[in-house]
Amino acid sequence: MTTLKNDLNLQDADGFYEQLLNSHRDLTEQESAQLNARLILVLANQVGDADKLTQCLELAARPWRVKV
Amino acid sequence: MPDDPSIAAPIAGTLRAEAMRQTSGYELPVYPFVAPAELRGKLGRHPVVIVGGGLTGLTAACDLALRGVPAVLVDEDDTVGVRGASSRGICYAQKSLEIFKRLGVYERIAAKGVRWSVGRTLAGHDEVYRFDLKTARTHDVSEQPPFINLQQFYLEWFLVDRIYELGTVELRWKSKVLALVPHRDHVELTIATPAGEYRLDAQWLIDCSGAHNPLRQMVGVAADTHQSIDRWCISDVRFNEQPPAERWTWIEAPFNNGRAVWQHLMADNVWRLDYQMPTDTDPEEISRPEVVAERLRRQFGTEVDFELVWVGAYSYRSQCLHAFRAGRIFFAGDAAHVMSPFGARGGNSGIQDADNLCWKLALVLQGRAPERLLDSYDAERRAAALENICITNRTTRFLSPETPLEHVFRAAVISLARETDFARALINTGRLSTPTCYSSSPLNIASRAGARRKRQRARHAGGPGNRPSGRPAGHAIQNVALTLPDGAACDLVALQQQAPDSVLCVLCMEVDAYFAQELERLEADYPVRFVCVRGVDGAASQFPTAIDFDDKLLVELGALGEPGTIRRAALVRPDLHLAGTLDDPGAADLERALRKVLAIEP
Repeated sequence: MTTLKNDLNLQDADGFYEQLLNSHRDLTEQESAQLNARLILVLANQVGDADKLTQCLELAARPWRVKV
Repeated sequence: MPDDPSIAAPIAGTLRAEAMRQTSGYELPVYPFVAPAELRGKLGRHPVVIVGGGLTGLTAACDLALRGVPAVLVDEDDTVGVRGASSRGICYAQKSLEIFKRLGVYERIAAKGVRWSVGRTLAGHDEVYRFDLKTARTHDVSEQPPFINLQQFYLEWFLVDRIYELGTVELRWKSKVLALVPHRDHVELTIATPAGEYRLDAQWLIDCSGAHNPLRQMVGVAADTHQSIDRWCISDVRFNEQPPAERWTWIEAPFNNGRAVWQHLMADNVWRLDYQMPTDTDPEEISRPEVVAERLRRQFGTEVDFELVWVGAYSYRSQCLHAFRAGRIFFAGDAAHVMSPFGARGGNSGIQDADNLCWKLALVLQGRAPERLLDSYDAERRAAALENICITNRTTRFLSPETPLEHVFRAAVISLARETDFARALINTGRLSTPTCYSSSPLNIASRAGARRKRQRARHAGGPGNRPSGRPAGHAIQNVALTLPDGAACDLVALQQQAPDSVLCVLCMEVDAYFAQELERLEADYPVRFVCVRGVDGAASQFPTAIDFDDKLLVELGALGEPGTIRRAALVRPDLHLAGTLDDPGAADLERALRKVLAIEP
């Protein structure tokens, strides 16, 4: 089982964050939800590894303690 | 259409009857009730009683007849199919077709049914996903096609004809089970017939009584059940102008208010159109002929010329019994498991339940394997049912999103599928039935290389990774074409049929005279049959030999290589699942493996 890398892996953290916000600019709430969903799917495909994706979901869902 | 609404229960009881009146339907055979010996006071104990003459029960009856087991099948009705001349299952998968080849009904199915391999998925007016099963690795080497579509009652009809032809199994129509009492060494049934009630004793009982499984309630086997809110309406239709012989699925059909639609062909030029309906739909209303006609005109244009064969609204549930064996009772088909119809997994898995159980029962009844072998039915087929339920539930979640967020994700998948390859894999309109690999079966043998083989392998350039490993233990081996030394055509099913109750031990190795003697001793002591399979260049053998000109079987078994460099034996069970392979085995290795496959030793 691969362990999730939780130390910084982004080459340009601030740059990415800015692009993320920019990509949602002028979108309605519904469009933004669509964009986020598309983005999650695209990123998931980049990760590929099933164990890693499970851990990503668990990390993201941690505040609600839901079962993934 | 969901590919196999085998658990399709009419929402309102009158729907089917109404549908019958308005359609031409089909002419189905009616079988006579014959008063059995028990009603004349003769009480005997039958080795096997099968309850229910649906797809699973008839497959089991036909299989047992071929194995010479004089079973008795009781069925409430006196004809095939579901009352009302509808068809439940319509898609028969390759593994089922291979089983039917073995049972001797495949030729009729192939002649009557419709072959297809292309599936298209549409969203709105665009195609978002397309497959051709002919090119899929999972389907490419069998003598049987990936799928044949056929009304279920035809299949049942062919099976009944075959059972009558074989003559070993007694079919008792108009016979309903009223009560069941399990005993230590038999099961006692009370049967109601037009000529009165009688007691029927069975050494083993196979419950194929369908989704309502009254018997499991009588013996108190628990089940996990989940009722779906999804609603569908089938319209079976004959057209003057034929749509293509492909499976078309719309996730969001513009002509069905953005809901799903299935379009599939059956025999007699009947099309199955299945429309997803709002969850709060009124089943009576959506099944009215005028309403059905209006739906068809929205899909095919106002000029469409059609004849309505059958209409039925249904919902579905998923359910799995906690145990598929309770003492002397086995649960099979819908009586053991029900699932949503997507992917044609209901009917096909029932057929495989029967295929899995019957060779084991026959061996136990012949005294050639211990009763413990029967426990593997539960282990293997319950695992298969849970896998099928998991897979069909995932399709349900894709086709019937329950929350606004689930809709958002599905819309994201559909929009990405138009642009990228990877998202097409997430489009889920049913994962078509494939045989489950019994990867954790108690009958599997661990692959183990003999010492000599290990040394040889170490010397080979490239090492062990160089050679194809073949299918894992538990995997279904496809019915590959083979050739006999005299040039006659053969296949794996035919090879297995030469000793139908035996484990087929495929030797991909040369056999010297001393080894041959040892193998003959094993054949005398165990239900096993040794067969040599070789590529074009292999050496002759005194054992029955098949030539694998296209290397199809050798690839499946991971035994492809230069003649003389590979010494591998593969144990193939009577249901054509691989129990495992042995590299460079001696007779003692083979004996140990056989004892595992037959559950003689755990």
